[in-house]
Amino acid sequence: MSSDRPGFLGFGLGLRIPHYQSIIEDWPEIDWFEIVSENYMVEGGKPLYYLDLIRERYPLVMHGVSLSIGATEPLNRQYLRELKALADRVNPRWFSDHLCWTGHAGTNMHDLLPLPYTDEAVRHVVARVREVQDFMERPMLIENVSSYLTYRQSAMTEWEFLSHIAEQAECLILLDINNIYVSAVNHDFDPYDYLNAVPVDRVAQFHLAGHTNHGDYLIDTHDHAVIDPVWDLYAAALRRFGAVSTMIERDDHIPPLPELLQELEQARAIALPILEEQAA
Amino acid sequence: MSRLGQLQEEFQRAVLTRSDGFNREVVDSGRIGPARRVEIYADAYRGRLVDCLADSYEAMHSLLGDEQFYRLAHRYIDAHPPRHYSIRWYGDQLAAFARRTAPYSEHPYIAELADFQWQLLTAFDAADVAPLTADAVARVPADAWPCLRLRFHPSLRRLMLQWNVPAIWRQIDAGADRPEAPRRSEQPRPWIIWRSELMQRFRSLGADEAWALDHAREGASFAALCEGLCDWHAETEVAGRAAAMLKQWVGDGMVVGLATD
Ligand SMILES: [Fe+2]
Repeated sequence: MSSDRPGFLGFGLGLRIPHYQSIIEDWPEIDWFEIVSENYMVEGGKPLYYLDLIRERYPLVMHGVSLSIGATEPLNRQYLRELKALADRVNPRWFSDHLCWTGHAGTNMHDLLPLPYTDEAVRHVVARVREVQDFMERPMLIENVSSYLTYRQSAMTEWEFLSHIAEQAECLILLDINNIYVSAVNHDFDPYDYLNAVPVDRVAQFHLAGHTNHGDYLIDTHDHAVIDPVWDLYAAALRRFGAVSTMIERDDHIPPLPELLQELEQARAIALPILEEQAA
Repeated sequence: MSRLGQLQEEFQRAVLTRSDGFNREVVDSGRIGPARRVEIYADAYRGRLVDCLADSYEAMHSLLGDEQFYRLAHRYIDAHPPRHYSIRWYGDQLAAFARRTAPYSEHPYIAELADFQWQLLTAFDAADVAPLTADAVARVPADAWPCLRLRFHPSLRRLMLQWNVPAIWRQIDAGADRPEAPRRSEQPRPWIIWRSELMQRFRSLGADEAWALDHAREGASFAALCEGLCDWHAETEVAGRAAAMLKQWVGDGMVVGLATD
């Protein structure tokens, strides 16, 4: 699988159930949508009905939460087959999942758990990303997650870990700007150090989102608007990585679509001057 | 097991059981200690599953109230760590759990409501097959009727309910704060749930229709249905009665195929 960066899709949103109806009534000006793959890995009914209507009009990308690329049990073949069947139906520009593990010995905790930043884990994940890419026959992106603890075993930074894996597995990166910020606060590192260490030609998508501030730590809840320091980090990311498809994730306290479109306008307003300057 | 696998096993145990053996693997940064950092994950794990159950079992939540529902949810979570790759399937054992676990087992309407809600949920995203129209039935030649067999929509579910859970569900769904109290009937009654035009529907059946539907789903011919309906109706009426049922099933969008061979 080549690592050529796929084209710039513009500014998108995560497709969410409360917005289905207003999307198919108004066909709002949104450049693209990201779907959560598992929500459509069902046999029929409303989810696939709306998906089929929406994919006619908008470019889609698929974003999964259950691949568990960092787990040590074998990859779930049934899951992969269903994921591929969905990709065949949707024809996404790419698919992504998280650089994490979600469970052990048959349990799925439905959480995006961090990996220890070790050579062992790099080797393990690289082999599995290659296996998944070969099976899916589509470009794969891995996303950095928010984390709340650091393992004693870790022998490198998170950005070194992410970069090594992307380079060695020849896969792309979905850089979640908010997750960098959340982890920077939780682990006392400089988010700009992170940003400036990620290989430019690997980054194919940005996530923006809000989080919850618990005083001495932050939790990645996707239930608030994007905050100013994250917008600043986004601007720096655009300067470094150029035109990268950008979207806002909102999973809880989902506001009406116009409110999210306004937030997306904010992303556009930050990005366009930077991208124009780069083009000049 | 690899070092990575061992680490994950210990982390998972800490999340599932809130044990502290894993804390030694976590860097102590001073500001927030390892125990608190692990606890963030354990809290998130429970919180997510409780939310998922509350989502799948809205009527149950409303009927039992926060305290009782969350107690049930936590006991279920203790007994059933999720295994499916999709969280959509978490909760599939709740009815069975309530049926065999005290004190829920002493209030059988809880298991019955759980079963009813779960079946509604599975009807929601069951496979799509276009339902048959009345025209297709009208085109069946008269002499082919005796060997007519039906295929039903994949969303169709058959239940036996002894409690008034569909009424309770309907009232809660319509926004009632105080739905009618759970009531037990003398005998379990046959019900069906299915999806038509993207909406889940349900209704009760008479004993004759339940028998006919169960046998039609197993592939009984129209002639066999007529014969069986003689247990409820006069011989001169059974053909008309069977045809009326068939018409209703088709009109309800439950029938997806006919075969006459
Ligand atoms: Fe994200």
